[in-house]
Amino acid sequence: MFKELDPILHSQLRLAVMSLLIGVKEAEFTFIREKTNSTAGNLSVQIQKLKDVGYVDVTKQFKDNYPLTTCKITKKGINAFEDYVKALQQYLQVKK
Amino acid sequence: MAEEKKLTEQESLQLITEMIHKVKSSFHESGTSAILWGSIIGFCGLFSFLQFQFQFSTGWFDVWLLTFIAILPQIIISIRETRQKRILTYEETAMNAIWLVFGISIFALTFYNNAVPKITESFYAKEGIELLQKNIATGEITTFHPFVLSISSVYLILYAVPTLATGLARKFKPMTFGGIICYLFFIISCFTTYKYDMLLHSLAGIFCWLIPGLILRRNYLKGNACVNV
Repeated sequence: MFKELDPILHSQLRLAVMSLLIGVKEAEFTFIREKTNSTAGNLSVQIQKLKDVGYVDVTKQFKDNYPLTTCKITKKGINAFEDYVKALQQYLQVKK
Repeated sequence: MAEEKKLTEQESLQLITEMIHKVKSSFHESGTSAILWGSIIGFCGLFSFLQFQFQFSTGWFDVWLLTFIAILPQIIISIRETRQKRILTYEETAMNAIWLVFGISIFALTFYNNAVPKITESFYAKEGIELLQKNIATGEITTFHPFVLSISSVYLILYAVPTLATGLARKFKPMTFGGIICYLFFIISCFTTYKYDMLLHSLAGIFCWLIPGLILRRNYLKGNACVNV
């Protein structure tokens, strides 16, 4: 029986964001935008979705008088990502 | 990147790999701190060696006080680099902790080296004991002031710990080599006098930090650095 792929993660930009955040303690919004080649508006919406399900934490503060948004993956997000990768491996093993 | 594009399993895996690789290639280290401390320790060690070799004095000023002065530029470098960084990795956090603990330990050891002999002497004095030493050639007996034996060897072990740990964790060979050579210097220093211990300190500073720092700097300037120390 295959585990269903998490619909929140099974989307290109959200998966890209999670894949970036899994390897770091925290990352600035601008860094994520640059690495995912996305627009600020689109990325904001997708990060908000990840935040709503509790996969990421978003902190807004000021640095040198400029707004600074940092994102970090939560414990729930790590578990979801690991489950997603396991499910993915299952699918790929069967397709081999 | 498309907002809600559905992916195949293969594409998902490819995307995950690509993003993880992008994060890895975003680590850049200027090597400034390593160059700073490598130069300071290298200079202080060499200067001390030359002082013993050519018997000259700088009065009250001990050249090793420069290590305290170097804390100021280190603070400025740290603040500047923290501001420039857009990501913080778990590995980086762990490495920062190791080097912070190393810094604290160095100053704790310096305190130990300066305080313990005097405190020991005062404890003996309270009990009415004075330590004496006898010159077997002349028979002259004088007061013996306790000191920590071969303390410079202990410093060399301490230099090796964070250096080797960083080198191994980051898979950065110049620092791994520096850490290993530092342990070798420690063994040698157990058999040498203080004068040559100072020369070993100088070499340790050069091999542990200055050379790796210069390599990092060169990579950083080339824009292809892939290690963060």
